[in-house]
Amino acid sequence: MNARTRSRFSATAAMIADMREALEAVLGPISEPVLLPGGASKEAWAVDAGGERLLVRRAGGGVIHRHTLSLRHEFDVLEAAYEAGVKVPRPIAYLEDVDGREAFVMERLEGETIGRRIVREPVANALPLQMAEELAKIHALPPERLPFLEAATIERLVDELDEVGEPHPAIELGLWWLREQRPPDREPVVVHGDFRIGNLVVDESGLVGVLDWEFAHLDDPARDLSFSLVRAWRFGADDLRLGGIGDAEPYLERYNELTGFDVRPDELDYWELAGNVGWAIGCLTQAQRHLRGQDRSVELAILGRLGAEVEYEICHLLEAQGVT
Amino acid sequence: MSERPTPDELTEAIEEFLANEILPTLDDHRLRFRTLVALNALGIVRRELAKLPAEDDAEQRELAARIREGDVPAGTLARVKADVAARLRIDSPRYLDRY
Repeated sequence: MNARTRSRFSATAAMIADMREALEAVLGPISEPVLLPGGASKEAWAVDAGGERLLVRRAGGGVIHRHTLSLRHEFDVLEAAYEAGVKVPRPIAYLEDVDGREAFVMERLEGETIGRRIVREPVANALPLQMAEELAKIHALPPERLPFLEAATIERLVDELDEVGEPHPAIELGLWWLREQRPPDREPVVVHGDFRIGNLVVDESGLVGVLDWEFAHLDDPARDLSFSLVRAWRFGADDLRLGGIGDAEPYLERYNELTGFDVRPDELDYWELAGNVGWAIGCLTQAQRHLRGQDRSVELAILGRLGAEVEYEICHLLEAQGVT
Repeated sequence: MSERPTPDELTEAIEEFLANEILPTLDDHRLRFRTLVALNALGIVRRELAKLPAEDDAEQRELAARIREGDVPAGTLARVKADVAARLRIDSPRYLDRY
């Protein structure tokens, strides 16, 4: 048995009292904070204050994944998005120290976020177009407002794979094809970086809000546009290429109409494959968090094996491109 | 072909989950007892696994390195896909039905 482990988010009464004090200094009297389930690397606490439903996003105990924003910067991005009219929870306050970790407070939106549930229920017809509309607004955010955002490259994926140190020929084939077939560069824009079903709040009217901005960076807009197409984010509704909820064509058309970027379908194919390669490597790096003892969890551990699903999809997509 | 987590590492992860996340939540004596028995059983599995020779991943390493160099002759994808399918039959057999 491993002595370094303990329950991942053990919330003691003393910790909750300390959190309460830090929050009340900013928000006034609050209800008892309740830890919400889920969240691989961040804690989410529901509290109410001044008649408002709030959510406290607090750093988790584990080691922060490389290339993710600090909560300070994530809060800045959220503010910029909110001011630009992107559908996001209203940002309320950044707190440097909530019982030893940074956190921020935002509005708690009502709606569904669980991908598997969203794709099983009938969704609003408007949802695909609303996703395109939000992306168009995000990609128009002024980069100079967010000077800490870094540019991502395919090479960064190679570095991450090398850090894992395991042989994965299917991922190598994906990277090879991405290098060979790279479309001409587009001017990098501010991207969400994880824009997909599962990170969107959805209700019967459609898209309510875009969550989880920790992967925001500068990139080709087509990459952000294609992330929702990755099969893993269709949550079993494989026939609907756009996140298990719709077809890609009307979404692409609406996005192009709003941005004038004229992204081509073959760019979607390219970046869909890149999204799969990124997630295949992501599965391995998540498993490494467990294996290296940074964040012991059976949930992270098994991702090291479930990555084989994503590798199979990479092979499938390469076949469709005529690779043998 | 070697994959991580190894069978031993996966078993260890289950062991920790039961001991650290489940056991402390159990008030029922029978369930506590059975969980301790399950942990003992997992210990047996781990000691059995420890007797097996480590899997050799030299071939996969060589293939990965060749592809990295851009050496991708026709037929490479078919071979790689068959290897991934073989892993899936262990890791997630029902996934293959989705294609």
